[in-house]
This record gives sequence, structure tokens and C-alpha cells, in this order.
Amino acid sequence: MAASIAPECNEIKEKYDTCFLKWYSEKYLRGNTTSNECEELFTKYKTCLNKVLKERGIDTMLEDARKGSSETDAEFLKKS
Amino acid sequence: MKCFYNEHAYDYPFSAVSLAYFLRYPNRYSRHVLSTDVIEQFIDPNTHRLHSTRLHLKRTKIPLNILKLVPKRLGGSDHSAQSYILETSVIDPTQGWMKTESRNLEWTGILSVVERQHYQRLLASENAGALDGISLDRKSEQTTVYTNVTLRSRFGQGMVFGRRNDTDKKEEDNKTGLLSSLSAAGIERTIELIGVRRTRDAVSKGKQGMNLVLERLRSGGIMCVLEGIRQDRKATLGP
Repeated sequence: MAASIAPECNEIKEKYDTCFLKWYSEKYLRGNTTSNECEELFTKYKTCLNKVLKERGIDTMLEDARKGSSETDAEFLKKS
Repeated sequence: MKCFYNEHAYDYPFSAVSLAYFLRYPNRYSRHVLSTDVIEQFIDPNTHRLHSTRLHLKRTKIPLNILKLVPKRLGGSDHSAQSYILETSVIDPTQGWMKTESRNLEWTGILSVVERQHYQRLLASENAGALDGISLDRKSEQTTVYTNVTLRSRFGQGMVFGRRNDTDKKEEDNKTGLLSSLSAAGIERTIELIGVRRTRDAVSKGKQGMNLVLERLRSGGIMCVLEGIRQDRKATLGP
């Protein structure tokens, strides 16, 4: 899988990615759509990643982008 | 503002295409993608749709004539810059559709690019009955993708940055002062046209990348894709 922006999170990211792909292709796509089995790994990966996003100021950039795009997203989804 | 529209059909079932979407980086057609992270991923308890938000870091080459106009700290020595791309996606495996949106988080004043894609399982495949996982070898199934890209430059409105600080503003003012004799609208149009040309190229490369991943999925499953990614990653990072 693709590398993480933070090298220190690569190991946990790879574990999560592997878990996600297995769950997505073997369960979710086959109709077992109620729960994501990889949540525990995702929480660990997110803890590692969030620290780096904060250090580099990316978290505020993400927040700004979400505020700015929420309106257009709603319009886009309405069209379906 | 400029728009770009494209319609394409993949000769693969929706399940494979949606899987390939998550697996598409890195590949040999996207060596400019430096990293990909999952920011958010959850299932909507009511609709059972999978919502994902990912952050990509991409390397962008900036045309020299535009590089001259932007503050120094943004441009790299080799006319390249890095840009964060936010990608959101929603998948409904039962109805057989996926909607995605990608937008750049930086450089938005120079050029804001929003790409929206709508993947849809072709109706003919629904006759095959219930979704039966990734039936990769059933070539008769197709997935169409509608791509819509909106490009908008706000260069003339003194919006070189999406975000700005005082230093940026001062340098920006000097730069825009030099530009006062030029037509701001003309510059915006030029930037948007360059953007459209690049978009056409990027959409085409995107399809090639997806087809490469889909081909690997068909020939050897996920393990084959992961091995291919390992090799592509090595090639991207260099020895």
C-alpha cells in the first residue's frame, strides 16, 4: 500500500490497510455491511497520524477545507 | 471557471473497480503521489454506506511563467511543489455506486481543482442477481465512471493563498503590484487553461492506473496488487 506521510506510522498503517482490504473484499462487498472489523487497528493508526498532522499544522488545514466544502458536498449528494 | 467532463466504462464489475479505487496508489502512472493516509473511515449505521476520507501528498510541477508570479517559499528549486489533496468517498455496495470528490488544499487561490466522480454498476450486471463479491473474471460486467472537474483561479482577486499570514500578504502585495499593468482576468484564464490541459492528461493517466490495478486483481488477486505496489513504491522512492 501507499506510504504514510509520517514514516513512524507506516507499520501500523500497513497493518490497518491489510485488515481493511481483507474485510472490504471478503465481507463488506459480499453484503456483510454492518460493522468494520478493523476499527481497533484504525484507532491506533489514527493516534499515530493525528500527532503528526497536528505537529505540521495539517489538522487546521483539514478543518478549514471541511468547513468550506460541506455546502457543496450536500448539493452533490442531493443530485443522486 | 472552467469545467472538464469525461465518461468511461471499465470492463470490470463494480466490486473490483471500487476495490481498485482504494488500491490505486502508487502505480507506475502516478509516481507523483508521495503518500496516502486514511483520515476517517466509518459505516453509516442507517444506510450501511462506507464513508472514507483520505489525504494524499502529491508532487506538482509548476509552469515557469506561473512560478515567477508566486511567492518564493512556495516554489521548489526544480519548479516542483508539494500539495495536499483531500479525497472523500461514499460507497453503496448494494445499489452499486460510489461517489468521490478530490480537491487541493493548498494553492487554491492560484488554482482550485475539484474532481468529482460517480462510479455506477451497469444495469445489465444487475440481472446477474445478488452481489457475489469480487467476481473478477466476469468480463461481461461493466462499471461506468462519470468524471467532472471544476477549475477556478482567483489569482486576480489577490487570493494567491488559500490561507495567508502577514509575510505572505506583504510578498503577495509586492508581486501583485508588479502585475497591475497586466490583466488579472487574462492571467486567471491562462492558469485555468493550463489546468484543463493537465486535467485531461491526469484523467487519462488515472484510467491507465486503475486498469493496471484491475488487471493485477484479475490475474492474481489482492496479493498480486500488493506485490505490484511494493515494486512501484520502490521505483518511486528510488534505490
